[in-house]
Amino acid sequence: MTAARWRRYATGYAFILPWILGLTFLVAGPFLAAGYFSLCEYPPLKDPMYIGTANYAELLADPAFGRALGVTMLYAAAAIPLGVLLAMTLAMLLNARIRGQAFYRVIFYLPHLVPTVVVAILWMWIFNPKAGLLNFVIARLVAAGDWWTGHFFNVAALRAGKLALAGSGAALGWLAIAPLLGVATWGSLARRLWPHQNSRLRQLVCLAAILAIILAALPLISAALHTLCPVDMQKLRSPGWLTDGDPMPSGLPGAPSWALWSLIIMSMWGVGQMAVIYLAKLQDVPAELYEAAEIDGANWWRKTLSVTIPMISPVILFNLVMAIIGAFQIFAEPYIMTGGGPEDKTRFVAMFVYDQAFRYHRLGYSSAVAAVLFIIIIILTLVAFRVSRKHVHYSGR
Amino acid sequence: MRGVHFILAAVVLAVVTVAWLEPRPEVADFDPATDAAYKDTWSKRVHITYWEKWGSFEAEAAQKMVDAFNAAQDEVFCHYIRTSQVDRKAMLAIVGGQPPDVVGLWSDNVAPFAEADALMPLDDLMAAAGLGDDHYIPKYLEMCRYKGRTYVLPTAPVSTALFYNIDHFQAKAAELRAAGLDPNRPPRTIDELDRYADVLTVKDPDGTPVIMGFLPTEPGWYNMAYPYCFGGGLFDANGNPTPDLPANVRAFEWLKGYATRYGRENTTRFREGFGNFDSPQNAFIDGKVSMVLHGVFFPQFIDRHRPALRYGVAAFPCAAGVAGPRSFLTEDNIGIPRGCKNPEAAWKFVLWTQRRGLEILNRLQGKHLPLTGVPDGFRMGHPNRFVQVFEDLAKSPEAFIIPTSVVWSEYRDEFNRCFDHIWQWQPPADQLEGVTGAARDEKVRRLTHDEIVRTLGRMQATIDQKLRRKLQRLDQRKARAPT
Repeated sequence: MTAARWRRYATGYAFILPWILGLTFLVAGPFLAAGYFSLCEYPPLKDPMYIGTANYAELLADPAFGRALGVTMLYAAAAIPLGVLLAMTLAMLLNARIRGQAFYRVIFYLPHLVPTVVVAILWMWIFNPKAGLLNFVIARLVAAGDWWTGHFFNVAALRAGKLALAGSGAALGWLAIAPLLGVATWGSLARRLWPHQNSRLRQLVCLAAILAIILAALPLISAALHTLCPVDMQKLRSPGWLTDGDPMPSGLPGAPSWALWSLIIMSMWGVGQMAVIYLAKLQDVPAELYEAAEIDGANWWRKTLSVTIPMISPVILFNLVMAIIGAFQIFAEPYIMTGGGPEDKTRFVAMFVYDQAFRYHRLGYSSAVAAVLFIIIIILTLVAFRVSRKHVHYSGR
Repeated sequence: MRGVHFILAAVVLAVVTVAWLEPRPEVADFDPATDAAYKDTWSKRVHITYWEKWGSFEAEAAQKMVDAFNAAQDEVFCHYIRTSQVDRKAMLAIVGGQPPDVVGLWSDNVAPFAEADALMPLDDLMAAAGLGDDHYIPKYLEMCRYKGRTYVLPTAPVSTALFYNIDHFQAKAAELRAAGLDPNRPPRTIDELDRYADVLTVKDPDGTPVIMGFLPTEPGWYNMAYPYCFGGGLFDANGNPTPDLPANVRAFEWLKGYATRYGRENTTRFREGFGNFDSPQNAFIDGKVSMVLHGVFFPQFIDRHRPALRYGVAAFPCAAGVAGPRSFLTEDNIGIPRGCKNPEAAWKFVLWTQRRGLEILNRLQGKHLPLTGVPDGFRMGHPNRFVQVFEDLAKSPEAFIIPTSVVWSEYRDEFNRCFDHIWQWQPPADQLEGVTGAARDEKVRRLTHDEIVRTLGRMQATIDQKLRRKLQRLDQRKARAPT
């Protein structure tokens, strides 16, 4: 090997040396040590005593661990898809060519920069059932909804029988969902109905129609929900949020508690970071693909499904994997906001690990829990990669 | 390429130089007390660090105690360091080999710290200094011991009592009299407590309480005390866990009665309107709850936020037939971590606190003394005018403590979870379908009773299992230890 090559190698290794040292002593070392400690009884200040797989056997029979794992799974199952969906929607909106685009991007990213403890305390106030902002807004919405519902039913009852009302309600409900799926559907419908009108008038008529249908459908949807889940609808008027351990929806055994929903809602606060990553990839999608799709007659919804999502799928996978890891490591927010309560309904696995190590002084047992948590994350990540093989498209290949 | 090497080398050199030149922090750097009074003896003294949990005026009181120690002798200088979550940080510091010389803990910490060998036993030092058992109110000393050895000594004792709002009693005097109750005295039995609470409670037309006569979950710190007021308890005389005693079931039925009577949702919502403990929005200080179970320190907080509040203090009521007065005792304590740098100087400080310091500390913190002999003048002009009540309660033969146990942390968490569960639990709607009136009430009562028995039974099984496993591991360790 020539001297020049040696120098090149030496320089390269010099650059990565700090990282290698950090990985070895701060990550790999403790990681391996924790693996060994998980096979030991290890109170602080005493030598670890090897006990084989006893900690793992205890873990399987520990109801508190089962509860913590269940809570974490529920949280992940709800927060990850919601977060990915919301971040993607946000990114698509931020990708639109509108005035003040940079301002909006900054605004949506800002929450991610707020320290976790500050966010937790802020949301504790937002969720306060008595003085919180959320219940204040809900109370006003419910009051407006009540007024409108009463008004609607009075008007409707004068003109039609209850049966006809229920039938039209179901139809209107479906029609109300349509605009949520894609305004473009309405746009193309309007284009067919009024091909000669100018586009602005068409848009206005379209918007008015959507609003009218939503207003008409809302009371009926509300009535249906009140019939199907009266307890939840009653609670929705002023939820107890972090203090309520009841499942929501109440009829569904094993559903997340109101307190857990609060944390799920709060987790949406930080989707700005995910959205920025989506945005970077969205801007990388070649415009000619959209042009080609338009020539083929694709509407907005079809372009999203067939062009946008496949093109950004590597980033979706990345965000999904990061979200899985993040969801299984959530600690600070529930620790500050609920302390695991009510009734352990927000005690996550990471909190369980902390309690075992620092409150009960069981370092061996807590290492075993951490090892199990690691295995779960690895399995879920591998599943995500496995599933992604068919659905993720890398443009370079 | 040469430039890159040069930059890397320069950065490394700069870091090493800065680290080398940075002066080592000295303990004296952290202390403002380098004034003239200590100028001559400063360098001759042994400097010790004392980590303690208190904040606010309680920290000032502890600092005054430390100042008095520093002024009283010229061999040791104690540096008071206010430390939140002191137990967890102290354990980490002890494990890391850099413990403070003295640490202030809670009574709950004694067993886990002693079991981990994190504290120095003090028995020999106490015997040499002539500090005998008779110096202390027995239950306060009992909380300092684990497996017969003393690991800490008491600093600030806490006995608990019923606080009642005199203005609320007077405002409802007529209604109380009509209900056969005396508005000029607090309740003496649990039954009376319930009746007072019903009369004193004021509700909105929608049923949401505006004032509650009594709310067992406020402040929520002493939930484990209620079973004792029914003749039950969490441990038997041998220290074995007994959460499912019939008396405990009765206590939980009584507690659940409040959730049922006033509505679980309503009481939860009502609680959300309370402010922090140390604030004018504290439920009792703000006049939202008329009666609470609280500790000896509470009057100081009332005086801070609402000095004009007219309130009284009495023993918390017991159920009919249960001997009293009963008070739940806990304490703050002081110990010497194993591996500290100056154990002898630390013991000098600890010993001084027990002979002179406690008087300063507890007077300024508004608490009674954990000692059998109270110095003349301690009670005179004491900031807590109910100090005698609390002292008498602490000395009552029926006063109770949580015995030092290796599983207490887990037990307490499990207890609180079960408490939450019972408070939140509601009878399944399908089981009450078609049942009305008295039959419905009876069915609700029966279902609630069954649920409580089930929950406490599960708690018993869980804690028994944890204790068994813990003891098994301790035996295993003992068997493997080199002889």
